[in-house]
Amino acid sequence: MNAADAPHGDDHIPANTTQPFPRIELRFGRPGRGYDPGEWVTVEYCIEGLNGERPRALERSALWYTEGKGEEDIGVHSFERFATVETIDRVVPEGTFAIQLPTSPLSYEGVIVKIRWCIRLRIFFESGRDHVSEHVFSVGRVPPSILP
Amino acid sequence: MRFPRFFTKKRGHRRTDSHAWGSFAEGFFYALLVGAGVVFGLLLVTGAVSYAPADPDSVVLQRGYEWWMWLLTLLIPLALLAFGGSGLIRVVRTWGKSQEHRAAAWRTVIPEGFADASPAVAGHPGVPSCDNLENSPGIVLRYRLPLESPENWTLVGFGLFALLWNAVVVVLAVGVGADLIGGTTDWLLIGLLVPFVAVGVGGVVLFVRAVILSTSVGPTHVEISDHPLVPGMSYDVRLGQGGAHLFRSIDLGLELEETATFRQGTDTRTQRLVVRRVPVSCWQRVQPVPGGSFEARVAVTIPADAMHSFSSENNAVQWRIVVRALPDRWPEFTRVFPVVVLPVKAVVKTSPSEAVEALE
Repeated sequence: MNAADAPHGDDHIPANTTQPFPRIELRFGRPGRGYDPGEWVTVEYCIEGLNGERPRALERSALWYTEGKGEEDIGVHSFERFATVETIDRVVPEGTFAIQLPTSPLSYEGVIVKIRWCIRLRIFFESGRDHVSEHVFSVGRVPPSILP
Repeated sequence: MRFPRFFTKKRGHRRTDSHAWGSFAEGFFYALLVGAGVVFGLLLVTGAVSYAPADPDSVVLQRGYEWWMWLLTLLIPLALLAFGGSGLIRVVRTWGKSQEHRAAAWRTVIPEGFADASPAVAGHPGVPSCDNLENSPGIVLRYRLPLESPENWTLVGFGLFALLWNAVVVVLAVGVGADLIGGTTDWLLIGLLVPFVAVGVGGVVLFVRAVILSTSVGPTHVEISDHPLVPGMSYDVRLGQGGAHLFRSIDLGLELEETATFRQGTDTRTQRLVVRRVPVSCWQRVQPVPGGSFEARVAVTIPADAMHSFSSENNAVQWRIVVRALPDRWPEFTRVFPVVVLPVKAVVKTSPSEAVEALE
């Protein structure tokens, strides 16, 4: 696992938790994390710190979401859910997958509207809690907007 | 199990509390609405059943209302049942599902462990439809673009205000007139009528001024050689500006506008911001042909690095052709013609097998 990729990941841990949460390291096939529309994105991940706790399900998704002044919108491009013992064993604690990007929307760094692409891995545990890890990448080469 | 905390600090835009408790509270609220609807409905229905005091053993069914009165009476319980029931169904359907699962559920049914990796939507996901922009053929070029003018909405607003306000003024004036004919003078009502009349006259003046402004400068037409537009490509644009007056200047350009809709308290607000301006052409001291219009044809090039048009529920990025004109004796006006810009053409450089091999 490329340690240089790890800081880009964003693990969302509920503020009121006391139980340890796993750490998900994810590596993109392209170090710069920049892709063109229509390209294939390959991802390799490794889940550490499960401490013997068995996941109930794992969800892998590629999606875009908006940021900025407006309410958040989300568009899921690819979604997989693994919820049976056989399938979970294939994808936990490590796995690889590839998705082909659509032609749009492209990543965009606007002033009040921003569009970001990410890979999300979400683990559901038998205890009922869940843990999500988000890893942003960019699609296209649209320059940031600057107020005229 | 943790008990819910009712007072927590919001961290950024993401929810930090338990989703299960949130969904439970939402479901409880909708269940309460359903319960209220059932109770109100039963009370109303049983209220029509009574008994004869002389014969307490027999129940008399009274039909107290006409059918339309029943409908009106049951409107509130039925609305409660419909609103609460639909909310409950939604909560049950999304119970325990992640944000991604909910967002994906409406799109397609995904077999377990099978990625929906093909291009999700034929065409361009997130790019708004351009059907409404291409249903009007041009006289010279292929399409005539529809006008999206904020001035038209201003005109409608002024007209509605003048109409409604003066309706109130008329009601007050009739009251004052009736009093005067009857020989009584209600000075309070007359005092109230004076500012109302002043505002009403002001509303009419503003409306008439807006009508004169919008009609005197003449219509603006924009035609384009092709649509939707592609970054890096050039298109012929024909501008037609009607009017009998001299224009000090007419500017034609491209603009990129961002739109964000957000909730502030109980209000829903929309902010618009122009983030990119591409000047195309400018004409000085233009005098339209008498009885005709000023005509010009220019080439408009979409910047190669342009963001494509984008539209989602609360956010949008929109390109538009903007005409700004300054008539000689009238205030400046702006007319907006939205266009759709597609993303740059996708070039697939790798196959899935090559992509996986790259990882190994």
